[in-house]
Parts: sequence; C-alpha cells; structure tokens
Amino acid sequence: MKRLLGLLENHSAALLVFGLVIAFGSSAPATFLTGSNFENIARQISLDAPMVFGQMVVLIAGGIDISVGSTMAMAASLAIGLQPFGTPVAVLGALGFGLGVGVVNGLLVTKGKIVAFVATLGTMSLVRGLLLTYTGQASLVGIDPAFTFWGDGQIGPVPVSFLVVLTMLLGLYALLGHLRQGRNLYAIGGNKDAAFLGGVSVNKGLMLAFMLSGLMAAVSGVLVASRLNSASVQLGADAPLMSISAALIGGASLFGGKGSIIAAFFGVLALGILNNGMNLLGVPTYTQIAVRALILITIVVIDALATRLRRAELDNARILE
Amino acid sequence: MNSQEVDPSRPPDVPSNKAPPAKSGGRRRHWSEPLRNQTAVLLLVVLVIAGSLLSDVFLTPRNLLNILWAVSLLGIVSLGQTVLLLTARFDMSVAGVVGLAGIVTVLAQINGFGLIASIGFGLGSGVLVGLCNGGLVLATGANPFLVTLAVNLLVYSLALSLTESKTLYATIPEFNLIGRGQLFGFLHYSVIVFLALAVGLEFVLRRTIPGRTIYVAGLNEVAGRLSGLRLQITKLSAFVLCSGLAALTGIIMTSRINSTIASSGFGMEFDSIIAAVLGGTSLFGGRGGTLRTIVGVVVLGVINNLLVLLNVPSEAQQIAKGLVFLAVVLADSALRRS
Repeated sequence: MKRLLGLLENHSAALLVFGLVIAFGSSAPATFLTGSNFENIARQISLDAPMVFGQMVVLIAGGIDISVGSTMAMAASLAIGLQPFGTPVAVLGALGFGLGVGVVNGLLVTKGKIVAFVATLGTMSLVRGLLLTYTGQASLVGIDPAFTFWGDGQIGPVPVSFLVVLTMLLGLYALLGHLRQGRNLYAIGGNKDAAFLGGVSVNKGLMLAFMLSGLMAAVSGVLVASRLNSASVQLGADAPLMSISAALIGGASLFGGKGSIIAAFFGVLALGILNNGMNLLGVPTYTQIAVRALILITIVVIDALATRLRRAELDNARILE
Repeated sequence: MNSQEVDPSRPPDVPSNKAPPAKSGGRRRHWSEPLRNQTAVLLLVVLVIAGSLLSDVFLTPRNLLNILWAVSLLGIVSLGQTVLLLTARFDMSVAGVVGLAGIVTVLAQINGFGLIASIGFGLGSGVLVGLCNGGLVLATGANPFLVTLAVNLLVYSLALSLTESKTLYATIPEFNLIGRGQLFGFLHYSVIVFLALAVGLEFVLRRTIPGRTIYVAGLNEVAGRLSGLRLQITKLSAFVLCSGLAALTGIIMTSRINSTIASSGFGMEFDSIIAAVLGGTSLFGGRGGTLRTIVGVVVLGVINNLLVLLNVPSEAQQIAKGLVFLAVVLADSALRRS
C-alpha cells in the first residue's frame, strides 16, 4: 500500500502520459498517432504550460494561486488592447500586470497573513472585475499581424510557443534545482518555521513564488492572445483547477515542499493528451468536465493519504528513538 | 492574557513592574472593544446613511423589502456556509448544488411525481452531494477547498447531462407559490424562510450539544475528541446541512422563475463565503454565528442595490465585491492575531 501510494504520488504524471498514449493510440490510431496531432498537442499545452509552471513554483513554496485564470485573461486582453501603443508596449503591459498581481498576492499572504487560497480567491474576483470593466465584456481583436508569431508561428516543424516553453523550463529548472533562492522555496514549503530558524527569508521566498506565478500566468495570456489574435472575457475560466490538477499530477503536494518543473511539464502534457484524446473520440463536453473533476478528486485524495502516511511514519520514527 | 496574574517566582508583596496602573473595575478595556466583531453593523449604518443621502428611493419601504427579497436566496446558502465555516471548512460546491437541485425537482415533476415528492428529490440530491463532500474530506483529510471545487464541477457536469444543456420548465402550477407567494401581500416566503432558518440555527448553535460541538470542531479538535464529543458525525452533518440548504435555495430559485439551468447558482459559492465572513464568522473556524450572517448578507445586498441605484455599470460591481472580500479577510486575519 505504502509503495503503491509512493509510486502513484511521485510518478503519476509519467504513468498517466504512458497510459493515455496507449489507450488513445489503440482506440483511435488513425487520428491520434499522427505527426500533425502531436504538433497540435504541443501547441495546445504550450499555452497552458507557463501558468502550470507558476502554479508549481507556488505549490512548492507551500502556497496556492487561484488567481491565475483571471490574470491570464486580463494579460491576454492587455496584450491585444494596448496594441495601438505599439506591440512591445502591449506585451510589456500584459507581463507587468501579471507581475503586479503577483506582488499583491505576495503582500496579502506575507504582510496581511491571509491564507494563500483565500487571498488569491480575492484577487481572482478583483482582477475578473478589472477585466470586465476594461473590456466592457466585448472581445478584442489584434491589429498587429506580426504579433501572432509567438503563439501561432513555427520554426521548421516546431511551434514557436513550444520553444518559449522549453526556454522557461530550462530557466526554472536551474532556479529550483541549483540556485539558493529556488532551493529555499522547498525549505519554506516543507516547514516554514524550520526554514525561518535556518536563516531563510520566508517572506522573500513567498514573494518570489507569487511574483513568478503572476508573471507566468501573464505569459500564458500573451501566448493565447497571440495564438488567437484576439482576447475574450471567457478565457481562463477553468485555468485555476487545470493548473492545480496539472501540478498535482506532476507530483506537487498541497502540503508544500514537493514537486519539480520537469514533472509539471509532464503534468500539463498528461492533461493535454487527455483533452486531445477525448476530443478525437467525440466525448461529450459534460463527460469531459466530469473526467477532469474525477482526476482532480483522485489526485487530491492520494496527496492527502500519502502525506498522512508520511507523517505517521515520522511520528513512529520519533517514538522509536 | 491577564497581565495581573500573580507571578509565582516573586514574593506576593512585591508588585510586578509589568502590572498596568491599577484601575477600578479590573482589566482595562480598550475603547474599541464593544465595537469589535461588529464591523458589519457599522458598515451597514454607514451604507444606509450614505444611501439615504445619495438616492431618494433608497429608504423607501418598497426598496428595503426589495433588498431583503433579493438577498434571501443567497442568504439561505450563506447560512449553511456559515455553519460549515464554524468547523473551519468550506463548501465550494454549493453553486453546482443550487443548479442540480432545481433540475432534479423539475425533472421529477416532468416525470409525473407530485409537488412534495419532487421537492423531496431535489433536497435529497443536495443531501447526497453533502454526504459525498463530507465523506471524502473527513475520511481522507483531503483539502476541503479543492475537493468541493472538484465536486462542484462533477455536479455541474451531471446537471448539464441531465438537461442536455437546455432550459427546463416546471409543470406543477402550485410550485410557483413557494418562490412568488407573499405573506400579508408584501413579505416573500423566501425572506421568511431565510430569517426563520437564521434564528433557528443560531438557537441550535448556542443552546444544543451538536451546536456547541460545531464550535469545538473549529476551535480545538483534540480537546473535543478527548471530551468525548461526537466530532466526526457533527462535521459530516455540517457538510450535509450546507448542501441541503443550497438545494433548498435551488428549489426556491427555480420556483421563482418556473425554470432552471445548470449554471443558475454560479458565483454563490464565492458570495456566500463573503457574506458569512463579512458578518463576522471567521475563516479559521470557531467564531461567528448565523444571526451575524443576516447582517453580512444584507450589507452585500445594500451595496449591490446602491450601485444599481447610482447607475454604476455591473462590471464595476465585480470590482467592488473583490475589494470588499479582500478588506473583510484582512480584517478577519488582523482580528485573529490581536
């Protein structure tokens, strides 16, 4: 039981990707196992991946970010809506907005001492309000054709957005695996008090995590806007749950201190393949929603059981000593 | 903390240099103490004064009754959410349950069941979701926020599949009376149900053992377990009550407009938490009550009403809601630390 839980917890993403490819490959080989479909999947997950990376960073630090969906939608709208001032200004405005939301989230959690999901639930609502006011609930359409290069263009057979994601993957891998600030996030998520006593600046770490999450959500927004060359208020409605699911499948824990960027990539890949496969098989929308919900419940329950088991083991070890 | 407590390490005749200047009447009270935890009442007073200055129609009986009528549905959901918050847990699935219960009720009517039976089916669907939420959260220790969010999606997809994404219409004419009927020609039944439930639940919370157990579950589970309180069954009941009241809301909402869609409760999960916390129920459990939630719900209603009367666009109302929510949780967090 213990080993099974451990296996499910630490390699669930890779196992899921493997299982899904076999399942869809055998049920729809003519449409699923084609080069153009894989390119499709790569394009689709490239839009979600930055946001999931950000969520992963926050989860590692023991937080959670519910506001990613609103931030992404607002960033997409700014990237389109500010184009009359020049596309670089629009993109910088969008990214700056995401960073700003991250700063607000970080301050609410570190200075306001609000639980992360409550604080980000509040900013989610606030940003959704800003978005509705800014757009007047209308769709915005881009005026700069060159802007679509980032989300829609490709270099050889590889989508540009996928290259953007790979670059971020490498950068965050270096941060989390090899830089002090990144390693500190694991310490903060694992045990805040111990990290503080060990000389880690907990507040700085949490600020960094939330700022990265806001920024990455905005990157997702810019890529989506570039792909569609438009933005609407419906964007990002399911993003909070999707990003949390993907990160948890990728081995993050709601109790903090666990996970990696590579695993987050596998998490988003697994969900991407799942969505793609269900679409190819013509699964009705409501069944797709139910499947995603069941996956989330399963992974949250596994996370809770595994954490409980680990804590019980720690307690036993303490008693034996 | 009582700073005048006798320090055992000192001889009793030497006065402690930490003691505050002696004052008749014992512990010194901070001037703001009677006002603490009553932020919502203060806010309501300020809003009513502002409203009467800004708009001629605001203080008319008609408008005030309108506000009560408009918030009574959210109010019933918020009462259940309040009880669950007292145990330091949440229910994000109320939005889905509001939609599902209405759909189940109408489907039962379409399939030939009577009025009472169809309402029973609707309420039953809510109870089942509550059992599912409570069972999952309590048995595994999983995060209640994410579990109920996922259950919300599940319930929503179930509701969508039941309706095939169409609008359904009730078939029993008397069903309308629940949502549209009025006592003495001006007091809607939903307002009466809301107020009666708030008073009844407050009584249960204050005066009965299950009610007191709810507070213990939110304050100190270990102490409760050691005292032999039946914590698990009480927490499960709180989940069931929360979903059950959401289902009741869905049924009343459906009878108001005689029709229903799967998304009819959207946003209520968020609003019900705002209303409860605004009234002074803590997000961290163990503090608050259902009478307070009446004030919280009414404050939300007055804010919405004023924004409409002042012709503020509906998009900006969402901003106001977000700001109110953040202000309230900041105050809640500051209060908890003080």
